[in-house]
Amino acid sequence: MFDFLIDGFGVALTPLNLGLAFLGAMLGTLFGALPGIGPINGIAILMPLAYTLGLPAESALILLAGIYTGSEYGGRMSSILLNVPGDAGAVMTTLDGYPMAKKGLAGPALGLSAVSSFVGATIAIIGLTLFAPLLARVAVMFGPAEFFALMVFAFASMAVMMGKDPIKTGIGAVLGVMIAMVGVDSGTGVLRYTFGMAELYDGIDFVVMIIGLFAISEILLMLEHANRPSNESDEMPPLGRVMVSLKEVLHCKWTMLRCGLIGFIVGVLPGTGASVAGAVAYTTEKRISDKDGTFGTGNMRGLAAPESANNAAAAGSFVPMLTLGIPGSGTTAVLLGALMLYNITPGPLLFTERPEVAGGLIASLYVGNIMLLALNLPLAGVFARVLTIPRWVLVPAIAILAFIGVYQLHSDLMAIYLMLIIGVFGYLLRKLGFSLAPVILGYVLGGLMEDNLRRALSISGGDTGILWQSGISLGLWIAAAALLILPWLVPKLLPSNSTEKNKQGA
Amino acid sequence: MRINTAIRYVSGITVLGSALLMGQVQANEDTECIAPAKPGGGYDLTCRLAANALLETGLIDKPMMVSYMPGGIGAVAYNHVIGVRNDDPNLIVAASTGAAVNLALGKFGQYDADEVRWLGALGADYGAIVVNDDAPWQNLDQLMEDLQTQPGEIVFGAGGTVGSQDWMKAALTAKAVDISPRDLRYVAFEGGGESLAALLGDHIQVFTGDMSELRPHLESGTVRVLASLSEERLGGPYADIPTAAEQGYDVQWPIWRGYYMGPDVSDEAYQAWVDKLETLSEEEAFAELRDARGLFPMSRFGDDFDGYVKDQVTQFKQLAEEVGLTQ
Amino acid sequence: MKIAADRVLGFALIGLAAFFAVQAANLHIPISYEPVGPKAFPIVLSIVLALLSLVLVFRPGENGHFPDKALIVKLLAVLGVLVIYALLFTQLGFIITTFFAVLALTKLFEATWRKALIASVVMAVGSYYLFTQGLGISLPSGYWLADFI
Repeated sequence: MFDFLIDGFGVALTPLNLGLAFLGAMLGTLFGALPGIGPINGIAILMPLAYTLGLPAESALILLAGIYTGSEYGGRMSSILLNVPGDAGAVMTTLDGYPMAKKGLAGPALGLSAVSSFVGATIAIIGLTLFAPLLARVAVMFGPAEFFALMVFAFASMAVMMGKDPIKTGIGAVLGVMIAMVGVDSGTGVLRYTFGMAELYDGIDFVVMIIGLFAISEILLMLEHANRPSNESDEMPPLGRVMVSLKEVLHCKWTMLRCGLIGFIVGVLPGTGASVAGAVAYTTEKRISDKDGTFGTGNMRGLAAPESANNAAAAGSFVPMLTLGIPGSGTTAVLLGALMLYNITPGPLLFTERPEVAGGLIASLYVGNIMLLALNLPLAGVFARVLTIPRWVLVPAIAILAFIGVYQLHSDLMAIYLMLIIGVFGYLLRKLGFSLAPVILGYVLGGLMEDNLRRALSISGGDTGILWQSGISLGLWIAAAALLILPWLVPKLLPSNSTEKNKQGA
Repeated sequence: MRINTAIRYVSGITVLGSALLMGQVQANEDTECIAPAKPGGGYDLTCRLAANALLETGLIDKPMMVSYMPGGIGAVAYNHVIGVRNDDPNLIVAASTGAAVNLALGKFGQYDADEVRWLGALGADYGAIVVNDDAPWQNLDQLMEDLQTQPGEIVFGAGGTVGSQDWMKAALTAKAVDISPRDLRYVAFEGGGESLAALLGDHIQVFTGDMSELRPHLESGTVRVLASLSEERLGGPYADIPTAAEQGYDVQWPIWRGYYMGPDVSDEAYQAWVDKLETLSEEEAFAELRDARGLFPMSRFGDDFDGYVKDQVTQFKQLAEEVGLTQ
Repeated sequence: MKIAADRVLGFALIGLAAFFAVQAANLHIPISYEPVGPKAFPIVLSIVLALLSLVLVFRPGENGHFPDKALIVKLLAVLGVLVIYALLFTQLGFIITTFFAVLALTKLFEATWRKALIASVVMAVGSYYLFTQGLGISLPSGYWLADFI
């Protein structure tokens, strides 16, 4: 049954392919670490190169897959070090990663997130090897109604983000959803909130959004810190130790496993990617293990959760691509294009007709994943030094990267102005005591929620029954309800729970 | 110390200056193709086709640069070329039937199709009417019959919103049996991949997609293509698929993939590009590259293409008025 | 004064909600295949936002510390630099605008002239070559020299 995998390792372990996997991992980490330049761009840029070099299909695919998985590793770096997400999947990584770095734990944070990435990706690759054809069938069972239920579940689990200021969390989420409304309405083609500007027709781009919200507002905040009178200690955060300890890794083992699984499942579904996976994993994990309310202040599990999930999602999105020929994310859509160039047709027949491609790719994911861990763990100490770079170097560097990131994606100044406006908006929000996470979550989930609700209703011709007809959606509705009700119910049933909580927190 | 510093500054500025000059010299020779979308989509493919093929056949010496300008399904790039790079002789922009649809619907701002110089098309894709393998309809006739008797029971889906070229395929199919596109049931997804997934999961019954994206699914037999919306039957793996016309329904939907240039480009530069593309289309190597991208032959260049696009826009305008889409 | 910030914010957001709802209500929809349509979601959002903001007006939270005058001037200066950087980005090209933008930013973050100049040259030229040659990403080379050559 796993002949293809044995053949695959034969393919993946040739010197050329090992070298390409390594190159892909390196470049991917770099692409991921640069804000705004994510896996899609990396692959789109290198695909023609691979083709012109005359690489055989499986080698090209190994290179490109290395870039994809590598960039999910790399995305965490600027999240942790600069509070600027390196790519879409790494938004939630800022929440606990950056506070950890501020506490002088940048090295351990980078190390732990590398291990989490490894665990998440490994879970997903094993899942891909064992269950790909089966999961592909489950994935297509997710129609608009099921996606809507999934979004309801995601918003319900977001309620845990409400933290110390529920009103502002709520407002932040609503503002995020509102931003997602800008552009052509996907149901009717009507333009909403575009004010006649063609640049807004496609909506506010995710990259523009996160670079503005995080990077530009961060620059403005840094100015403030630099100006505080007692900025001596602030200027150079202590570097602390560089390596993550085994104890810390083991502390997060269940988090990694759980979130790897969540990420994999979300990744398998067509239409949801690493950003949704990170969000769902983080909020779920906060619900499960944030006993002392330290999520968001540098909790190791809060860091491990999204990192495990976004890497798992990246590998998970190969399932629909390889088995159904359906791209589950923008990145796999580009990879699918690469396969087509080589006259390879993904689908149920791929594993029997071109086993060297399917097997080689999957085997190279195993190999690449190990390489990435080996590459990223020792580098954690090196990259942690980014924090010791003085502000007068860091700020212009962030500004340049922000400009390049947005410009290479849009070749258009309007996108840069928009980024600056969003940056000021983000700065004001942060000054007014808002957290940016709900805004981003609202933005990511809100659009999906509206689209899928309306898709479901156009399928049923307006009958709302469709929303809870299937077993999957019913299950998600029940889970969502449980998320909202249980926190009130459980303490009442188990009054002794509070002492338990304190013990765990200590 | 002072002198040292001064030397450092001077050398720094020299480096800067020479770097600038080098960048500039490069820019003058470089040809560029703007893909008015994010990387990885159909426009990217259109640009890459020209870039790779022109280089491979030696029609250009240096690799053509491909840059991305997403926004408004091409509107941002259209406005940019008219407003900013209106006379750049080295710049071509990818376009397709989708751009013509948007021009017709007035979604490109105040501009219409006369504002740019239409260069030529290097290939085409064709619409397809697709159902799941276990669907009750074996041919287009059966589907159309059911559609006529109970239009509200059959759910169409595709990767574009109302008024997009994906929707047009569904609307034209309905119109062929005198069903108003308003009475359809239509679901707009985010791209062909999602629509196909919805078809495979039986969430929608009919997918109006494009031929090239179906290639992976023809062999495996997971879907059934009821009709190709081309003038004639397509070759290769598609040879068994009947056209809508031969089944008695006048629905055609070619999706050309071509290029335009700025409005103030000189006639010489325009003609040079037309010649380049025309020569390219006759090359043996080009056919291979085009096939690899799932595109079918289509050759229209210069004035011929210009007229073709403008006719198409007029047609679409009429159609949009008929179904009440114009605002 | 102390409690003003959240109140002002609350009123501003109520204004935004109203604007958002009115815009949605005025949408013209030629064809819609479902009962929800493009108006419902924005209008519901506006109502939720207005309600939440109302709470904010009546129960404002504590004020954070806000920038003093000197800092505001600096903030505006940084923003100004970024806007000018954007304005001239394609006109003058990446290297020259980046050089000046980095110079201005490093000075605003209180580097010495020497450090600032070195950083500007290194970053402008270095990043240009890293991205164009190393990563194959196109950056504007500028139109300004074209007139002289």
